[in-house]
Amino acid sequence: MAKVIGLVTANYYVENPSELVASRPVASMPFLGRYRLVDFALSNMVNAGIRTVGFIMPPNYRSLIDHVGSGKDWGLDRKAGGLFVMPGSNFGTSRLGARFLVRDLVQNRQFLERNSSADYVVLSTCNFIYNIDLKDFVESHIASGADITVLTKKATEDNPNILGFDTDTVGVTGKHMGVKFGDTAFLDLAVMKRELLLDMVDWYSAIDHKDLFCALVESGDISRVSVKTVDYDGYVAAVFDKQAYFKANMDLLNPKVLDELSPEDRFVKTKAHDNPPAKFEPGSHVTNSLVSAGDRIYGAVVDSVLSREVVVEPGATVRSSIIMQGTVIKSGARVENAILDRNNVVSAGTELRGTPEDVLVRVKGRD
Amino acid sequence: MLLAGGQGSRLKALTSKVAKPAVSFGGKYRIIDFVLSNCANSGISTVGVLTQYRPYLLHSYLGTGEAWNLDERGGGVAILPPYATQKGGAWYEGTADAITQNIGYLKEQDAEYTLILSGDQLYRMDYEDMLATHKANNADLTVAVMPVDWAEASRFGIMNCASDGRIEEFEEKPAQPKSNLASMGIYIFNTDLLIETLEADAKDAKSEHDFGKNIIPTLLADGKRLYTYQFKGYWRDVGTVASFHEANMELLGEHPAFDLYDEDAPIMSNASTRPPAYIGHEGKVDDALIANGCTILGKVEHSVVSTDAYVGPRAIVKDAILFPGARVEEGAVVVNAVMGENSVVKEGATLGDPNEETIAIGDDDVIEKKEA
Repeated sequence: MAKVIGLVTANYYVENPSELVASRPVASMPFLGRYRLVDFALSNMVNAGIRTVGFIMPPNYRSLIDHVGSGKDWGLDRKAGGLFVMPGSNFGTSRLGARFLVRDLVQNRQFLERNSSADYVVLSTCNFIYNIDLKDFVESHIASGADITVLTKKATEDNPNILGFDTDTVGVTGKHMGVKFGDTAFLDLAVMKRELLLDMVDWYSAIDHKDLFCALVESGDISRVSVKTVDYDGYVAAVFDKQAYFKANMDLLNPKVLDELSPEDRFVKTKAHDNPPAKFEPGSHVTNSLVSAGDRIYGAVVDSVLSREVVVEPGATVRSSIIMQGTVIKSGARVENAILDRNNVVSAGTELRGTPEDVLVRVKGRD
Repeated sequence: MLLAGGQGSRLKALTSKVAKPAVSFGGKYRIIDFVLSNCANSGISTVGVLTQYRPYLLHSYLGTGEAWNLDERGGGVAILPPYATQKGGAWYEGTADAITQNIGYLKEQDAEYTLILSGDQLYRMDYEDMLATHKANNADLTVAVMPVDWAEASRFGIMNCASDGRIEEFEEKPAQPKSNLASMGIYIFNTDLLIETLEADAKDAKSEHDFGKNIIPTLLADGKRLYTYQFKGYWRDVGTVASFHEANMELLGEHPAFDLYDEDAPIMSNASTRPPAYIGHEGKVDDALIANGCTILGKVEHSVVSTDAYVGPRAIVKDAILFPGARVEEGAVVVNAVMGENSVVKEGATLGDPNEETIAIGDDDVIEKKEA
């Protein structure tokens, strides 16, 4: 098999991401009780046998480094290869839409040069949730003879944060920021020869404030660089705003979808923790919910996702909500259609209520 | 030195494929986690683990010892199985013999004190405190003891002590116990004396090479300074299926006898990274521990359900322990039972009876529905 390395970018900004990312980069957004968004990109790569992954960091990387560490939990703490944590430019997080920022690639050109034995590079961001067999993806790219293969899906709804591609029978011909229903939506995953990526980094170094794929189209090079699309037919969630984030969590309150997202042979890897199993006390009531290690439940939890170390006290009710790590719902409190970030305390007897269309968000409490 | 080679034969089906220290416990742990966590929480960074019976799972679980912060250069976990030499090979014959065969390891570590532990007990102990007592008494050997019911005392090795804790007499399973202080099988030795005593014991053809039966009586007879360290707290040996079941059940309830949630001395494990547990629309969980990766579509009551276990629609699990990957299929009933790893109770089948002894099935066992 061809030798493949990975490059994950986390140094970008998304519009209207809600107050949840005020305190952390999007890549380290907690997801589904125990993951962070970056887990999906990293797991896709290591599950396909990729053992060298460059990771371009945003400037506010504290929580991200805390999570990925040496890459141990993804099998990326290696003598040869492994996880290469690289600095992103300050510019990245102010540049809307530029998720594969050319400047970050120029600055970290060395990563691509030094891994000279690699034939191919897989590029990914951190805002899409899906589980893909990247071996198949790379093999189909090689078989097609295209210069670049991008993963796409027909948009099922409008989304201003997703890059759309114009296509003809041969491949990509143009692009537009934001997709409408039926458009070819880019899932921020691409594969190309390492040599081609190095060339592109050189070609666009003068317009390094742009996204790599935007530069490719705007420069007109798209007419000589063939870009083929591969349609992804599995579960995808594009997590760019709080409603999408909320919906993606709720989608996974379904063992079938959860299995598809984290099948046994390609399960999503994440940082290991030492929490004891979740403890359901006598009289607790839990239905259609995901409950994490270290939770203690005395009250009622319905249609919700609980991260680890959450406490739901007696008489408290959590309904259609996402409760993050270490948050305590005091006795008699009611929480509905809400996202409560880490370490919040909901006082006894109080109510926090949003609507399905406008979910209430409570930002991180104190550690 | 952690003795982890025992079979735990009274655990029957549960140890048919793995050594007792590797048996699943409390939803996401293996029994050896408790003593390894004690080591880590007590600041011990060098642990030799002596293995013998069905060691594969134990070895792979221990790995580099990283899960317990025991992957240190110049220390950490060393797995010490029986080995062959130019003179041939030999199994470990008794607890003392196991250590004797690893005197080379002890000498290489060159530690002033050696702590002897069992890998198959459940308790939290600060070994540093025990060592402080050992030093304060200027002892040659300190034995951890705990008070047991007088009625039970004749089942244990009993220490008869002076008021300052100095051991005056040791009786193995006495018919008429004079004290109720039972040895927990946890010892701190001055290493030089340990090596010297083991080497002498090895030459004694009549010795059974056992700490309780041979080493302690020898040291007492030699007039050495043997002291007790009194432990007051939760301690279980989980020797039988019934006591194993009971110890798991003691993790439940609002004020469990053993609190897994104590943050001062966390129990560490070589954890897998699985998704949160899913409780279905018709799922009902009351008074239970549910580990990550589980899918609960039926009813679970007063039970411990381990990583990746599955309880199907309309299934009932009560007073039971499901090991990792165990499956209780649709409409099946599991009551007062222990299910081994990846074992299956098929659709509509029944395992266990509340009015009989707790039943255990082994890893990968399958229980079919009995035809009427």
